[in-house]
Amino acid sequence: MNAIETRGLTKRYKTKTAVDGIDLEVKEGELFALLGVNGAGKTTTVRMLTCLSEPTSGECSVCGNDCVSEQSEVKKLVGISPQDTAVAENLTVYENLKLVCGIYGYPKEESENKISKMFTLFRMDEVKNSRAKTLSGGWKRKLSIAMALISEPRVLFLDEPTLGLDVLARRELWSVVESLKGKITIILTTHHMEEAEHLADRIAIMLEGKIAAVGTLAELEKLSGKTGLEESFVEIAEKFGKSGKIGSVSERGEAE
Amino acid sequence: MNKIIAFSKRNFLEIIRDPLSYIFCLGFPLVMLVVMTLVNDTIPEEAHMELFRINNLSGGIAVFGMTFIMLFVCLSVAKDRSGAFLVRLYATPMKSGDFILGYILPVLLLAILQSVITFAASLIVSLIVGIELNILGILTAILSLIPSMVMFISFGLLFGTLFSEKAAPGLCSIIISLGSFLGGIWFDIEGAGGILEQICNVLPFHHSVKAARMATAMEFGDEFIIHLLITVGYSLVIAIVSVIVFKYKMRADLK
Repeated sequence: MNAIETRGLTKRYKTKTAVDGIDLEVKEGELFALLGVNGAGKTTTVRMLTCLSEPTSGECSVCGNDCVSEQSEVKKLVGISPQDTAVAENLTVYENLKLVCGIYGYPKEESENKISKMFTLFRMDEVKNSRAKTLSGGWKRKLSIAMALISEPRVLFLDEPTLGLDVLARRELWSVVESLKGKITIILTTHHMEEAEHLADRIAIMLEGKIAAVGTLAELEKLSGKTGLEESFVEIAEKFGKSGKIGSVSERGEAE
Repeated sequence: MNKIIAFSKRNFLEIIRDPLSYIFCLGFPLVMLVVMTLVNDTIPEEAHMELFRINNLSGGIAVFGMTFIMLFVCLSVAKDRSGAFLVRLYATPMKSGDFILGYILPVLLLAILQSVITFAASLIVSLIVGIELNILGILTAILSLIPSMVMFISFGLLFGTLFSEKAAPGLCSIIISLGSFLGGIWFDIEGAGGILEQICNVLPFHHSVKAARMATAMEFGDEFIIHLLITVGYSLVIAIVSVIVFKYKMRADLK
């Protein structure tokens, strides 16, 4: 079973089509990157997949559960670390994690075990009793991801996880994300080429709400005839811009 | 229930860890209690002005303090809505009722604590100035203030839901001013009479203050019942409106 499936997924606002009929399939355990410039529709896609926004048309499902008609099931399966660091500022790191455990209704002992696991995974012991508002950007991101991960979701959505982080904090966060690879399905949105190149098993290039191309780095390079993700991205974006449609590049990452 | 407890605990901690909440919700009302008691000392007996006597003042100050509780609920909700924190929680199995109760219950507890502290301070002041306050009257006054607490908390929830983090406090300050001015905390509404008295009688604030004052004085006649029922009515209406608006906005956010 695919972890994520979308068919003709579309989100229209009054005057703008944010996501325009996208078809996606993400396998379980895959780290899948949605790559695109700001306003490409990445976050809107994530919002629809996490039941935070209803599609205007089309379908989307998480582990076989429809994101519109089976929201309760979907919400049990997903964890999200939003673009802005979504933590309770006046609570300590420990209390933030405990809050999420409480929301999911875990018994005390189970909560403590889960919190302990998160502290080990993210090496957060030194900030355990620090209030979130006193943390650096890097620590806040780690906490935000830990809060998304503590419910052991089958699909983890990381929306621009390294936005605004310095290079060291970014690298540290990458190593955390890498350690999760294969254990859980991860959907990563980013506009950093290096990030997608470094972390993702497969990459979907989103342009103007559409999927312009999708595949492994090697497949995207073959498709564009360029080397490296940045060059490939620019080439695909230019082709897309000239044709004004995705017909110039196959949605499956194959040249037509 | 777990979700409500977890979210309530978070909201409780967020407010009690904000130093401003002590200044506004406790410090300011207590300072006003002392200042107005000193003012009362300077008023000659011939003036027959009993508004600032501690037995009258305590109920009014308790209502005055609640208006700041409203401000903090409002700020808390507006801040959560403007940031990504609620987005994260919207993606969890929490329902709108969990959010609403999670906001209301901890603040209701804080409002009760605030009233207890205000009346405890009043009791000390009463011993100093030699005016007797009845303990049973104080306990009944705190109970009679619960509908007012619900009303002010609901106002906070409503404004925090409808307006931004910047606009909401401004609107709350209007209610704070209206509540304290038209509630008859600082002047004698019956003495003023006329259209001002009529306006005050239409709004809920004066009835909240009167119910608390009468309970403190152990005057449980028809007048007390009427003031209390009007306060309960307003509280129910505002609470229902705030719940409907919160649910509507949450649905709209998830569209």
